[in-house]
Amino acid sequence: MKTKKIGIIDYGLGNLASVVNALRYLKYNAEIISNSEDSKLYTHLILPGVDSFKKGMEELKKNSWDIVLKDYNKQGGKILGICLGMQLLFSSSEEEGVTEGLNFFEGICTKLKASTNYPIPHIGFNSVSHNGSGIWNGINKNCFLYFVHSFAIKNTHKKNKQAITKYGKEDFISFIEGDNIFGAQFHPEKSHVVGLKFLKNFIEED
Amino acid sequence: MNKRIIYTLFYKENNFYLSRNFRLQKVGDISWLKSNFGFGETCNYIDELMIILVKPSPTLDDYQSYFNDVNQLRKKIFVPITLGGGIRNFDQAKNCFLNGADKLLLNTIFFNDQTVLDKISNVYGSQAITLMIDYNIDTVTKERTIYINSGTKPYDQLNKDLIFKMLKANCGEIIFNSIEQDGTGAGLDTGLLDLIDKTFSKPLLMMGGSGKPEHITNILKNDKVNGVVTANLFNFLGTGLEVSRNLAINSGVKLAKFEKINL
Repeated sequence: MKTKKIGIIDYGLGNLASVVNALRYLKYNAEIISNSEDSKLYTHLILPGVDSFKKGMEELKKNSWDIVLKDYNKQGGKILGICLGMQLLFSSSEEEGVTEGLNFFEGICTKLKASTNYPIPHIGFNSVSHNGSGIWNGINKNCFLYFVHSFAIKNTHKKNKQAITKYGKEDFISFIEGDNIFGAQFHPEKSHVVGLKFLKNFIEED
Repeated sequence: MNKRIIYTLFYKENNFYLSRNFRLQKVGDISWLKSNFGFGETCNYIDELMIILVKPSPTLDDYQSYFNDVNQLRKKIFVPITLGGGIRNFDQAKNCFLNGADKLLLNTIFFNDQTVLDKISNVYGSQAITLMIDYNIDTVTKERTIYINSGTKPYDQLNKDLIFKMLKANCGEIIFNSIEQDGTGAGLDTGLLDLIDKTFSKPLLMMGGSGKPEHITNILKNDKVNGVVTANLFNFLGTGLEVSRNLAINSGVKLAKFEKINL
């Protein structure tokens, strides 16, 4: 069996310390990676991130991550995008004007709508109604995971496995899964033991 | 939306403290905290953890000891962590994020120089900034006055104009912390909520005075309140936070139900 080695992509945005902390607690060999040429050294890549979609794409392109991630995935490497990292996997975003994304999944990232008792940003634990695929192994349907965001993907192609979360009057896509590529709008590294199990499944489940 | 219970620890010069009306009482260092309170287990019942450095003008050494202990604590804690205290510039904020902060607590700098908030939110996003407003209540007039510099300096009356200014600032949420109620365990300042109307567009958190599980349930039942912040160390004794969370859930408060599953 190939030794698992997890790279957490540092493109200048996001709290990498929490993701590294969670993976090391799970006893994985996890390292921060900033040079995209080193991606082949890793069996799994995690793309975290906070801040704007536009800035995120600019920073990824500076180090050719937009090209490298496509090649990495084609060669069977597993990728997990977290929060902004998930949004960047989609076609585009309307945050700060229209910006094209990495286009692994179809969908446009738009601002959540505030409603009575549902302020923006959406901060806190919320229910994720998942599809029970391998990455959810051992986790109850409608589990609670931690969110902090103002933008989200509301629609995508039905061919991809996905999970939905409700906030106020809106549903958004809180999880998506393609071939060896996953996106989580929530923060598994901040979501108690359920989040740790999700991260472990990402690494262990084929 | 789901409400939140946030637990807070006060820290200064290698020790953790209780606070009553903003006067600190030492309870012990990190070894004491770990051995007496089973920290990781207790965190199973909270939505977030906040660790505040309680010094108006922290030195580099103050931050260093603070970060050392934060980094020890967070190794087994998997909830969002808010750090802060005495932050006056971007570099201090950046250090908090490098040492595991998911969110940053700002207070005095909001009133002195909002461009610092703009710089921080430009890099980390406004959702990563929690604005804390310390205020005291005049026992005669019942007027509320904002205090800055760790509660030592009166700033201005807490009124709708200032609340409007807070809502316009680059921050993701606002905590109102009552110095009058702080550490008393006598219940929260629900009177403050009269100043809050439908235009309050950010998550609102209340702090100061939650000494019993019923206090937590009652404040969370209010539609205007998104979360309660408690720094009552005795909530950590035994099953205090577990009881508080379960009482709130059983009383109809919308709180996340955390599963116990095997890794």
